[in-house]
Amino acid sequence: MSSNPLPWSTSRLEGCTLTGALSVTAEVTDGVTVVHGPAGCVQHNASLIHATLLDRDTPHLLRILSSDLDEAGVIFGGEGALASCLGEALAGDPSAVFVLSTCIVQAIGDDVGAVCRREWGVPVIPVPTSGFLGGGFQDGMAGALVALGDLAGGEGGSGGGDRGGGITLVGEKNLEHDVEENFAEVTRLLALLGERPGLRFVRGSRAAALAGLSRGRLNILREPDLGPVGEAFAARFGTPYLDSFPVGLSGSLRFLGEVAGVLGLDPSDALEEERGRQVDALADFGDLRGERIALSPPPGSGAAPFAAEVAASLGLRIADGGTPLPCPSPPPVGTAGVVRLLHRWRRAIRA
Amino acid sequence: MPDDTEPSPRERRSPADCTAPLWPCGMTGAAACLAGVPDLAVVIHGSSGCFFYPQSLLPVPLFSTLIHEREVIFGSLDRLAAVIASLPSTYRRVAVVTTCVPAIVGEEIREVLGEDTLLLDSPGFAGQMETGYGRALEALCPETSADAGGVNIAGLNLLDPFNRGNLQEAARLLSRAGIPVATRIPEDPLGKIGSCGPFTVSVNPDLPAGAGDDCGDLLGLGAVGRTFLRLGDRLPGIDTGPVLGEVSGAEERVQRAADKYLRRFDPPRAAVFGGLSYALFAAETLRRYLDAEILVVGSRNGTRPSPLPVKEMGRIGGIAEVLNRERPDLVVGSSFERSAWPGAAFVGLTPPIRGRVLLRSRALAGIEGTLSFMEEVLNACMDRKRTSTARP
Repeated sequence: MSSNPLPWSTSRLEGCTLTGALSVTAEVTDGVTVVHGPAGCVQHNASLIHATLLDRDTPHLLRILSSDLDEAGVIFGGEGALASCLGEALAGDPSAVFVLSTCIVQAIGDDVGAVCRREWGVPVIPVPTSGFLGGGFQDGMAGALVALGDLAGGEGGSGGGDRGGGITLVGEKNLEHDVEENFAEVTRLLALLGERPGLRFVRGSRAAALAGLSRGRLNILREPDLGPVGEAFAARFGTPYLDSFPVGLSGSLRFLGEVAGVLGLDPSDALEEERGRQVDALADFGDLRGERIALSPPPGSGAAPFAAEVAASLGLRIADGGTPLPCPSPPPVGTAGVVRLLHRWRRAIRA
Repeated sequence: MPDDTEPSPRERRSPADCTAPLWPCGMTGAAACLAGVPDLAVVIHGSSGCFFYPQSLLPVPLFSTLIHEREVIFGSLDRLAAVIASLPSTYRRVAVVTTCVPAIVGEEIREVLGEDTLLLDSPGFAGQMETGYGRALEALCPETSADAGGVNIAGLNLLDPFNRGNLQEAARLLSRAGIPVATRIPEDPLGKIGSCGPFTVSVNPDLPAGAGDDCGDLLGLGAVGRTFLRLGDRLPGIDTGPVLGEVSGAEERVQRAADKYLRRFDPPRAAVFGGLSYALFAAETLRRYLDAEILVVGSRNGTRPSPLPVKEMGRIGGIAEVLNRERPDLVVGSSFERSAWPGAAFVGLTPPIRGRVLLRSRALAGIEGTLSFMEEVLNACMDRKRTSTARP
């Protein structure tokens, strides 16, 4: 199903900040998210997120409220409706309330920030969204992560290995199908260094736990697009960060080296073990050696260098007319992610 | 809460009313209606965030201006005109549906549209799905034609998980009576929508038919019988015998299966949630065949007088409260109700129905619809019993 065939359309397909922001705020288990705008915006997004949860066999109801802006609210202003909705949100005794705004609210000029700044008794945190007027999905997600940093309280220390906190994973993609598998892979790799993830910012976390963000020794961002979030937290809390989960074979090794470097650890044993694991894993796919493949998007386009590396490691020949193989985006995480991808490639080659 | 935030009486609502709404907005309803017309290109004038939701649900191509904030500030008409100009030439006409921000910005959208382009002002804040659907159907102007024979099928909606099955079943039943299908409203080409038959049957009375003399709906065996008797009165020469005979046979089969169930198990205590007509059909069917105790009929879109406990319930908070209070052993509704009360037997009636693969055409209307529904109910109830009594 194609739509909008005009050029320069790619950047227009980035969705709405609401979905990105909700993918973060809805993961605060004792918080409530209020979306200030028409009911349809919440219905769309709640339906999408709920479907994603069901696909991962983790059905639970989201704590999302709508200020239910109607035609009268659009004409005469919706701040009263927002305040009323906040009152009802607080009746459920949340630890924090997150307020997202829709495009129509931005267009009519409701002062969401002012309503949030009133004395509510618990943190009522406005998240910069404004629907599509605030950007796309990624903007909403990044904005929500930075806004939730307010729950982390005071400024941090000097960063690095001498802090009392743990390793924080920042910006996991809560809507992606294999989010827990990716977490498991990062956990496995950190365990090779004798470390483990601490706070998941933000996934299945209580509001009080998010305060741990300020004490972390290291932040690991899900992907480089979250760089501004990493910078914001580095500036605010002094926490160093890695800009991505491990991607690809050499990327996984590099990840181990970088984590060890920040934490002052010796990665030698970990690297040797992981290299061995990768050799064993690739050996299981030796039957693919020599197969002709075509990667989409093609290597050299900058989109999937890890795929070209994997193909080269297996002796796959990239050639015109080869079996078309997808390069997933986002790329698979770690060695385990590469192995799962290779199973899908082998299925496609044998088909 | 500070005094200056005390809501006005108009704004004051019960505690559960703010929770996540479960029914699509007017824009989605309008898009669903218009997208059923195969030679009509539907352009959603708004951002990708609005576009993605109907596109993800509707099994046909939609188009969109995918506007950015710069178009909101500097004008979106050039963008709209460019998108329309780039549409495939296979479409006979174009329909433009406005979303929330374009609807209030005040541009003279009509200026860049062709004379025969439909312009539908159906932003999300203007109402729920049925409001948008109704406006869209009005814009399509279905009309009867003296030259058109047969019976129209109305109440079709691409958002409905039973749409394809309902259409097939309605057409099958008409065919059994020797009645040709006139227009499938609104899922026929524009020419046919403009020349509908004189009579209409509906697979979902919650949605307007738009044209034709209403001969009834097809929800439930009783309704099928009554509707075809009416058609028999209005259309001399048709033979309703096969359909009425099939109704009678289906009634016996359902009664037999239900009796067998009731010999082993107690009637279910059921909570039903969905569009009003579908929910009432489900509740009445459960009561008729299983003597079920109907704890609540939660309607997404209004109420009407009924001996059943019907309430308007379109928010997950209120629904969760009722489920926790009533503790049904059968829930008929959407995936939201399933998540809110996971221990009950569940039958999907209302979108979204997630977490399971849905490939075949499944009817809720017609004879097959009642048989299919009761089959699902009985199997779900029996599976739950088996699970709860399984020996370790």
